[in-house]
Amino acid sequence: MNINRKLKKRFANNVKAKLVDDKIVLSGNVSSWDEKVSAGLIASKPGGRVHVVNDIKVKGLEDEKTIFPFINDNKLDGRKPDVLIIGGGVVGCAIARELSKYDIDILLVEKEYDVALHASSRNDGMIHPGLDIKPGRLKKKLNNIGNAMYDEFCSELDIKFNRCGQYLCFANYILLIPIIFAIPYFNLTAAGKTHFVSRKEMRKREPHISEDIKYGLYFDGAGSICPYGLTIALAENAIQNGAEISLDTAVKDMKLSGNKIEEVVTNRGCIHPKMIINAAGVFSEEIAKMAGDRFFSIHPRKGTSAILDKEAKKNVNTIYSSFNLEKNNHNTKGGGIVSTVDGNVLVGPNAIETNEKENFDTEKSSIDSVFKKQKRVGNWLTGNDIITYFTGVRAATYEEDFIVEKGRNTHNIFHAAGIQSPGLTAAPAIAVMMRELINKEIPEMIRKEKYLSHRKTFPKISEMDEDDRREYIEKNPDYGEIVCRCEEISKGEILDSMRGPLRCDTVDAVKRRARPGMGRCQGGFCGPQVAKLISIEKGIPLNEVRKGYEDSYILLGEKNEI
Amino acid sequence: MKYDVAVIGAGPAGLAAAISAEKHGAKVVLIEREDRLGGVLKQCIHDGFGLIRYGEKLSGCEYANRYIDILIERMNYGNIELKLKTFVSKVDKIDDGFNLLLSSRGKLENIKSEKIIFATGCRERTPKQVSIHGSRPSGVFTAGLAQYYLNINGQMLGKKCVILGSGDIGLIMARRLTLEGANVLGVYEAKDSPSGLTRNIYQCLEDFDIPLYLSHTVTRLHGRNRLEGVTISRVDQNMVPIEGTEEYISCDTLIVSVGLIPENELPKTLNVPLSKHTKGAIVNQYYETEVKGIYACGNALHVNDLVDYVSESGEEAGKFAAIRDKFEQEAVEVTFTSDFGYVVPQKIVKDTEPATFYFRTSKIRENVIVKVYDGDKEIFKKKYLNLKPPEMEKIKVPIDGVSEIRFVMEVIQ
Repeated sequence: MNINRKLKKRFANNVKAKLVDDKIVLSGNVSSWDEKVSAGLIASKPGGRVHVVNDIKVKGLEDEKTIFPFINDNKLDGRKPDVLIIGGGVVGCAIARELSKYDIDILLVEKEYDVALHASSRNDGMIHPGLDIKPGRLKKKLNNIGNAMYDEFCSELDIKFNRCGQYLCFANYILLIPIIFAIPYFNLTAAGKTHFVSRKEMRKREPHISEDIKYGLYFDGAGSICPYGLTIALAENAIQNGAEISLDTAVKDMKLSGNKIEEVVTNRGCIHPKMIINAAGVFSEEIAKMAGDRFFSIHPRKGTSAILDKEAKKNVNTIYSSFNLEKNNHNTKGGGIVSTVDGNVLVGPNAIETNEKENFDTEKSSIDSVFKKQKRVGNWLTGNDIITYFTGVRAATYEEDFIVEKGRNTHNIFHAAGIQSPGLTAAPAIAVMMRELINKEIPEMIRKEKYLSHRKTFPKISEMDEDDRREYIEKNPDYGEIVCRCEEISKGEILDSMRGPLRCDTVDAVKRRARPGMGRCQGGFCGPQVAKLISIEKGIPLNEVRKGYEDSYILLGEKNEI
Repeated sequence: MKYDVAVIGAGPAGLAAAISAEKHGAKVVLIEREDRLGGVLKQCIHDGFGLIRYGEKLSGCEYANRYIDILIERMNYGNIELKLKTFVSKVDKIDDGFNLLLSSRGKLENIKSEKIIFATGCRERTPKQVSIHGSRPSGVFTAGLAQYYLNINGQMLGKKCVILGSGDIGLIMARRLTLEGANVLGVYEAKDSPSGLTRNIYQCLEDFDIPLYLSHTVTRLHGRNRLEGVTISRVDQNMVPIEGTEEYISCDTLIVSVGLIPENELPKTLNVPLSKHTKGAIVNQYYETEVKGIYACGNALHVNDLVDYVSESGEEAGKFAAIRDKFEQEAVEVTFTSDFGYVVPQKIVKDTEPATFYFRTSKIRENVIVKVYDGDKEIFKKKYLNLKPPEMEKIKVPIDGVSEIRFVMEVIQ
């Protein structure tokens, strides 16, 4: 086997590959996580359907422990849904919504206190043209289908979508000829159209692109959305159509009989679903393992982005990034300067391999490297504009492709795994593909007559024109009381964000829905107001209001009582 | 309804401005976002306010009440209208002044005013703006926010507290938390000298045995849910953390007091030029900005260390907003050397009256003379035994007939 020769060259006899049931199983010992990832990459064929399962041990590194919810009860005990979806990210929620069009019983479980708490809220919100993906990959196909679905998808879900386009900028002429020749090819294989743009044309729309940019490509299929806003919308629409979403619910084990999962054990009781969909992101390998269907491995890759003040918005109207002449290694891929739908600017992300699936810590070095890279195209970038930063973790397989298929060994599990960028773009298409797979199992699945395709959310008062705003405030007085001054968010919006179909009772959950605290003061003024509104709306004392996670209480209680 | 002067913000600057404008004959509207008057003074239950103005040590609330009482009295004359719980959403320039779009409970209204005084105060710099990394747990507060929770809501914040930044609010919160029974582990300051007033270093830290660590900063937060600890690092002269000096400190609360930024979002939409030194508007001695009819005062203009000066600037701004049209327009530049942090006002309109200037030194200095020149001609000088950046100085300079104004600092040999 050629792979073993390559592995031997790099790792002597410490690492071995073996072909077991159409998967490449790696075993052995290495001294660092990066070596383990390198071995996986050596053994894998990009885009291949024979996956690497990486069982290599790293010296001194224990297996990551999943952080489980504190709560243990039997709320879901004995539940027998037709479909159990594991994971409340954008993929899980898109699938729940797609399946909720049909007359079947759907239960989605999410281990966190809200949906979209992992990669689905921790990304740049870009809807990709899918230019850099090689044809033949599943993710290319799903990206292109998904991209085309976005306008209707977002209008149905009442989500802002800005198909603003993207500029890929070049600082020297070496690639000029090959690029011009590649345009017809891009037009055939990517979503939307690709145009060659001169520096002059480019600067008409983006006057602040760096001086030394000579020319560029414009992709009109690219766009920008709020990724957690979308995920929440999908979840809410699924609930409106009868799906159940159980938060703080983690899958801990599965019991099989032969090739069939009979029981799914959670911290909220045992569930007996007919079919299970694995949309567990970075945990999809663990879920597959529980299901006796582990034929791929996830190597998490984290990325950090910075959010800039609205002041910086004058410098960017679309999305722009510079083309890297250096070899496209994983540490420098992707990223750009994005004009967000909420009026901020997002810069990043970078990419660093990690063994920690749930470590969202940020590092100064990541912000520095992201800025250094993006300054090539936007030399106006300054750290002074940063209002916050965040880290997300991508769920990459070694083949760097999506897995959307029925279990290979276990018959009632369906995987939506290895979904990383452009997973957000592809989500609507993944949901359709998954529905088709489920449909094959339940041919009698019928479309609901009363399916509500449109979800309507509360208005953003600051975005209304004056007459509409006046009329709305007169009918809904709370919408006249401004609580968050940076983002101009009213009391009405904050209260309504807690009255949606999906539970919302923490400062961060309110922030993701209505945006108080998203601005430049980061909740310095509105924090106490928001906490008080949560306390009143939910009927809990102020000191029981949480920032987000369990135990993330903000206050200790009345000072004289302690 | 058309007003002569609209005052935005009813903290110490806005209260003083509204009263003063009314006294000078203007029809005034005072607009406040919160449900009570007084701005940040509402939460300042400690003393030390009003020493210059009243020769008394008042609490912030008492100080505010003196102005609130006057305001209520003056409102009897019918020329001050008060709009509480009202947010200024938008200001547009119109032919004869400004149109303000106001949002309040159940109501969105437009009002017109000939002049506007921005008395919008300042906001706090956030932990992310000083590059604190790591996790994002609860238990991290800016100092003013912590003060609000503790003094307005009566809520305790934590048991083991670390304070970053020796700004005045940070120092006051160190004492306040100690008095409420919290264990304040220390105040960490990235600069090599304290940022707060000397009196606060004594009264808030030394009297309570709270250690102050200069040239140290917090670089990292730990804990997923509630804060569990912070990483402290020593910093070099450029305030860059020195690798290898990291130390983990277990705590459940971090109070961040790392500076204030004047709030000027609305003036920016009106193209009011701002100073890069103060982050507030560029004004002349009448507190008028470069845009005719727009005035700025208090902490929105530049961050003051004493409320007495804030009130003073409000009074002046209010007065001139009411009577300004009688004066010349042409202005000369005020320049200063890098020995100064800033000088306010930045422009001087020709006038026979001396002008009041506020300045800060850029670093600690001893035995210096501050001189003001008009060309080669020295028009003012004053000796200082010491000057410190946290302590603002005020001088009165004769400006009759000047063609430029230049501030310099000389060391006394």
